[in-house]
Order: sequence, then structure tokens, then C-alpha cells
Amino acid sequence: MAENRLNTVDLDRQLSEQTPQEIIQYALEEFDNIAISFSGAEDVALIDMAYKINPEKVQVFSLDTGRLHAETYQFIEKVREHYGIEIDVVFPEAAAVNKMVREKGLFSFYKDDHKECCSIRKIGPLRRKLLTVDAWITGQRRDQSPGTRTSIPVIQDDKAFARPDDSLTKFNPLANWTSQQVWDYIRSNNVPYNALHDKGYVSIGCEPCTRPTGPGQHEREGRWWWEEATLKECGLHAVNINK
Amino acid sequence: MKITLVKKIKLDGSLCKKCEEVQQKMEQAGQMALIDEVLIADERDPASPGMELASLYQVERAPFFLVEREGQAPEIHTVYFKFVKEVLNQKTREEDELKEILNDNPDLDFL
Repeated sequence: MAENRLNTVDLDRQLSEQTPQEIIQYALEEFDNIAISFSGAEDVALIDMAYKINPEKVQVFSLDTGRLHAETYQFIEKVREHYGIEIDVVFPEAAAVNKMVREKGLFSFYKDDHKECCSIRKIGPLRRKLLTVDAWITGQRRDQSPGTRTSIPVIQDDKAFARPDDSLTKFNPLANWTSQQVWDYIRSNNVPYNALHDKGYVSIGCEPCTRPTGPGQHEREGRWWWEEATLKECGLHAVNINK
Repeated sequence: MKITLVKKIKLDGSLCKKCEEVQQKMEQAGQMALIDEVLIADERDPASPGMELASLYQVERAPFFLVEREGQAPEIHTVYFKFVKEVLNQKTREEDELKEILNDNPDLDFL
């Protein structure tokens, strides 16, 4: 086990009181080998914040599932040029994609669900990338997925992607921000953004699995809309545990 | 080494879906024979042995495994495939590993 493992539970309490910029600053100071996960959407705010804090330490990667919108590819390129940074675009294993497509076709997610496709096109390459870093930063927010019991801490010990007998720390600096706060930041700082947002897209993922949402619709309704909303039931309710 | 498996009973009295799936996989793979004790975390009873263990180690997921080795700090494993690889030293299929990660972490949908 890593000797210098952080006490993420206590740190989460402290960092939750801080701004996303302060959280990113802490992350960049604490870790040398740390990368920002950039989806090509409003999480560009993270890159802008990190760049302003320490441009030398901005390491960014994007997961190219092979099914992104043309606008998203254009936007990733725009961000690379705007900040003058390298973006490590990582791809799924060709053999795994080939096997799935050969056996189930190009749109199996409409018949089954999105999980098999996402696990091959997104989670596999994400895991390979995360094996090379000590910490990572995401744009995940609590308000992205209402109705689930999943809480998004500001900092967490990422056991799912950690190297064997080692630790991986995950930062979610925007966890406590709303979509509106992220957009206020993007507008007030003239941060470049994906052209799809001007076409009614709020949440942006792969092209076949993303659609614009209307007024009053939650952003989750723009993703995998053909699937019934399900609640995860694997959590042990903290309320009960703490009694 | 002592391995304890903690399974969850939900508020409605049923076993949690993932606990059921993991138990099924473990039975098929003959891994249950390697488990020394099975405890129940009954959400209706905070004093149930599994709930007390979850509280003690601040575990918020089920099922989970407590691994105790002589002279070493206890280890908690909440990711089944990692437990199989790292504790039982058995092989797992990558597609199963990736699906488990996604199922356990719905927040990854928004990456």
C-alpha cells in the first residue's frame, strides 16, 4: 500500500468549503503526475482554471470513443490551440470495438443499453490512461444526475482505477457547483465552448446517445433517453450506518 | 488470512442486486469456499453485524470484503474483480471488470 495515502474523507470536508480554483490549486500542488479529464463540453472550465493557476502543470486527456460529434472534435482542437497545451487523446482497443461491432452491429446500445458500448469505448481507455497517473481531475457535478444516491465528493480515493497496491486520487472541483455557475464562469472569462451548446445540447457525449434538451428538461434527459431511469441500489445508506 | 464477505439486505427485505450477482459469480467460480464468514448488513437494523462493520470501516458500498492478515492492517475491498485478482490471485475477464466499474460508478457517464 502507498505510504503517503491521503485521508480523503477528512480532506473532502475541508475542500468542500473551498472554490473550484482553490481545490485545483491544492491538487496541482499535491501531485506532480496529475491529469485533467476533458470531455469536450463545459468541463473546459477546469482547463481554464488550471491554466491560470499553473500553465506548466496542465496535463489534459480526452477519451475519443470514435462516436463523438464533429463539433466536439473541432472543439478539442480549438482548446488545444487556444491554451497551447498538449491534449492526450486516448482511444479504445480496436480489437474490443471490432468484436462488439461484428457481433452486435454499430447501434447495439439502442437494443441493449449503453453500458457495454461505454465500457469498451470509454472505461477501457480511461483505465489505461489512469494507470499512468497518480491523480486525476474531472468536471463531475452533483447536479448532473439527480435522483441517484451517488454523492460526488470533492476528493476521493479512487479504488476502481488505482494501480494494484497503489492509490489514485480523484478530484471533482466542480462537484458543488451548478450548471449555471459553470456557465457563468465560462461566459465571464470568455472561455471557448463547444458549438453544440448553442444548438440546445446541455450534456454532451457520443453523437448517437446525445440529443438537445428543451426548456425545463434536465440535462440527463439528453442522454440515453430510450433507457428507463434506474436507481443504483448498491450503496449502504450512510444514515443507517451512522446511527 | 481471514476473509469476511458482507452482503446487504435492503429496506424492503430483499438482497441487493449486486450482492446477488456477486454471490452467484462466486458460487460458479467456487470462490465461496475461500470465504471464512458471511455477514449481513441489514438496512433495517443498524446493529446488524454487517452494518456495524460498514460503520467501523466507513464503507458505503455493498457487497464488500474484509481481509484480515496476521500482523497487518485490515483491508477493505469494494470492487469485486480487484478482490478476485489481488486477494484470491485469480484471473478475471476485462469486459466484466469494465462493466463492474461502470455499474458501480454511474457518475462516469458524465465524463
